[in-house]
Amino acid sequence: MRTANRVYGLRWVLLPPLTGMGILAMLVGAVVAAPTELVEGDVQRLMYIHVPSAQAMYLAFGIVFVASIMVLWKRDMRWDAVARGAASVGVLFTAFALVTGSLWGKPIWGVYWQWDARLTSTLVLFLVYAAYLLARAVSDPGDEQAARYSAVYAIVGFLDVPFIVMSVRWWRTLHPQPIVSRLDPQLPGSMLAVLGISTLAIFLLALWLILLRTDTERLGQRLLGLRAAVDRREEA
Amino acid sequence: MDGQLGYLFAGFAVFWAGLFVYLLLLQTRIRSLTREVDRLEERLADAEADAAETPPRGGPSR
Repeated sequence: MRTANRVYGLRWVLLPPLTGMGILAMLVGAVVAAPTELVEGDVQRLMYIHVPSAQAMYLAFGIVFVASIMVLWKRDMRWDAVARGAASVGVLFTAFALVTGSLWGKPIWGVYWQWDARLTSTLVLFLVYAAYLLARAVSDPGDEQAARYSAVYAIVGFLDVPFIVMSVRWWRTLHPQPIVSRLDPQLPGSMLAVLGISTLAIFLLALWLILLRTDTERLGQRLLGLRAAVDRREEA
Repeated sequence: MDGQLGYLFAGFAVFWAGLFVYLLLLQTRIRSLTREVDRLEERLADAEADAAETPPRGGPSR
C-alpha cells in the first residue's frame, strides 16, 4: 500500500516522459517500422491508432463503471471526480476510434459509415457518455444527488460495452472479426509488436489524461467547499 | 495509393488535433479554477482584515 501510494505520488514525474517516449515509439513504429499491408496498403497503418483508441475507450469507461459503483457504495464525491474525469477521456477516445475507423473504412469498404452492429453500438456509447458529461456539466459539481443519479446512468450505459465487444460475433458486420484478441493472433509478428507498443503508448496517454482531468474535477469540488467557507466568514 | 495516404494523414491529423483541443480546453478549465482560487484568497484576506478592525461584539463592558 505504501509502495502504491509512493508510485501514485510520482505520477506527474513518471507519466509524462513515459507517455512521450511511448507516443514517439508508436509514431516511428506505425509510420516507418511496420511493414505495408499487401492488400490494404498504407492506409492500414491507421490500425495503430484505431485499435489502441478503442482499447483505451474500454479502459476509460471501465474506470467510469467502477468509480460509479463506488459513488453509490461509499457515497464519496472523490469517486464522482474519477468517474467524470474518465468519462471525458473515454468520449475523446471513442471519437478517435469512430473517426479513424471511418477514414480507414472509406478506401477499403467504399463508405465512411455503415449502420452495422459494431459501428452503431459504438456511436450509441459515444452519445450515452456525451449526454452524461453534459448532464454533469450543468449540475453543481458538489451535488451528491446529481452524482448518484449520474452514477446509475453511467452504470447502465456501460452495458453497451459488452454488446460492442460481442457484436461482431453475434451479427454479420462490415467491421472485421477480432484479429488480435484471440488465442492465435492473425497478424505478422512485426505488426503485432508495433500494435503492442501503440496500445501501451495510448494506454499511458489515456491514464495521464484521466488523472489530469480527475485532479481538475477534484480541485473544482474543493473550491466549492472553500467558497462556502469564505461566504460564511464574510457573513460572520 | 496517393489517395490512401490522404486518409492516413487525415487519421493522424484528427488524432493530434483532437488531443490538442482537449488539452487546450483542460488548460482553460485549470486557468479558470486558478483565477477562482486567487479571488477567494483576496476575499478571505479582506474578511480577515475587516474582522481585525471591528471590535469584538459583547466585549468587556463591566
